[in-house]
Amino acid sequence: MKILTCFKWVNDEADIKVAANSHELIFDRVGYKISDYDRNAIEEAVRLQEQHGGSVAVVTVGAPAAKQSLKDALSRGPGKACFINDPSFVNLEPSQTIAILADALSKQEYDLIICGEGSSDLYAQQVGPGLAEKLGIPCATNVNKLTYNEGNKEIIAERKLDDCVEVVTVPLPALVTVLPDINAPRIPTLKQVLGAAKKPVENVTLDALGQNYEPRLQTISVLGATMERRHLKFGTEPADIKVIIDALLKEGILA
Amino acid sequence: MMAGIWIFAENREQTLELINAGWNLADELGVNLVAFALTEQLAQEYIKYGTDEVLLLPPLTQEQPLESYVPVIVEAARNADPDVFFIGATKRGKEMATRIAASLNTGLATECNAFALDQEKKLLVMERMIYGGKAVQKVVCTTRPQMATIPARTFELAPLQEAKEGKIIRLTAAPPSPVKIINRNSKVQEAVDITEAKIIVSVGRGVEKKEDIALAQELASILGGTVGCSRPIAEELHWLPEEVYMGISGKKVKPDLYIGLGVSGQIQHITGIRDSKIILAINRDENAPIFDAADYGIVGDLYDVVPNLIKAFSNVLKI
Repeated sequence: MKILTCFKWVNDEADIKVAANSHELIFDRVGYKISDYDRNAIEEAVRLQEQHGGSVAVVTVGAPAAKQSLKDALSRGPGKACFINDPSFVNLEPSQTIAILADALSKQEYDLIICGEGSSDLYAQQVGPGLAEKLGIPCATNVNKLTYNEGNKEIIAERKLDDCVEVVTVPLPALVTVLPDINAPRIPTLKQVLGAAKKPVENVTLDALGQNYEPRLQTISVLGATMERRHLKFGTEPADIKVIIDALLKEGILA
Repeated sequence: MMAGIWIFAENREQTLELINAGWNLADELGVNLVAFALTEQLAQEYIKYGTDEVLLLPPLTQEQPLESYVPVIVEAARNADPDVFFIGATKRGKEMATRIAASLNTGLATECNAFALDQEKKLLVMERMIYGGKAVQKVVCTTRPQMATIPARTFELAPLQEAKEGKIIRLTAAPPSPVKIINRNSKVQEAVDITEAKIIVSVGRGVEKKEDIALAQELASILGGTVGCSRPIAEELHWLPEEVYMGISGKKVKPDLYIGLGVSGQIQHITGIRDSKIILAINRDENAPIFDAADYGIVGDLYDVVPNLIKAFSNVLKI
């Protein structure tokens, strides 16, 4: 089985600061990471390959600087990487990423594409199902258990939905998006980290795609979320507790 | 023509919320309000709640998932060219919206929690949370239809308008889906609906073992509240049912009082509780981010503080 697994190289949201007055975001000294749920996607691809053989390639779309992500991704087990990059591939909105991936992957051979359920920066949750639609292949989203039925060339996916758990069969080629509880991504070993640098990387450029990708969603502003809170801190003394309880009574919170 | 504000949600409540969301907008833009319905009875009902036209979807077979309607909805939208399309942001709704947007070559704002109409450009300025809830992104969709998925309970239910009349249009059956359902288990409601709770005592990683949740339960019962938790307590440790974890990927709650016990306050959790009226946090780490989100913070060991809180609340509430 040929598996492609997509990941996004994102700012670590924990490092982003919010300016006190302007509420603008400060990205100084912000680290990068493979988006959290995409680590589950990579792990699931590698797990299936260990069971059924075949190959796993990781795919990402980004600016040339995102090249640094490939070693991290490849150290997690995939055999090769497909790096779709251009200096203009920054702050892409979901429909752009979908279109770019669809154009690049339509030239690849695959049986199964695995994506995370949403990225930890925008969490738009669109790239998986949108890509499936553009490629004209079936998809199952929100999957927390995945098995491959080799005989029928289909997957059996357990989807965790709002009001039910639904088990579906999906003929290959297909795409799934996975939830974080599908597996526990393994920490790469030193040997894997060292080996990652030697794995092949296929560069796909904007020229090769031969298209322009205009945004359909335009960002007007991004500002830190504000919350009006009192920020009163207390110790553990009975007097402290009394002040808090009196305040709650005054608020009419305690009936 | 059917152009106008379109609405699709997988259940009645969310459809009525979206009808409410679309009502003023349809008025401002001078267009119809159009909703999808899954049954004839719901179709009649949606008209009484303010819909001008209802697009009735024929029933699915046992093995067809709800997502099988995507091609039917796409075709209807291609024919009618709606101005705006709101879809209820359930998990299925988000998948369907994305696939519809991809087919229609338009943009989609996921989990839009507020919007305003730019009168001049006739564009919706839509707000959504990004970076785990740390920031608010405002977007406009420059292609038609302008699409958004809207989370449950973002809007009130639309008011009933007994005299309202509307038209029902029957759509064609969904084509067979390559994705086939082989089993479906409805989730058993293991716990109370935490989104309705007035007081929530929330358990975080600072609670050392499962048995200690009893302490949270005691505090909650004295206050007439309910116990919830952060994601790891439900998803990793399975100490509490998934229905009660709060956060960006869990429940979004609006209690009068939220009490966090040993909750560190990761931004993903804060996003689920940010609409709480009052936040009280107890954590022994004075630098825990929960204190940035709290009205009242107690820096101390929850195992010392909670029994004292229980005693003090009991005295005040005369239990």
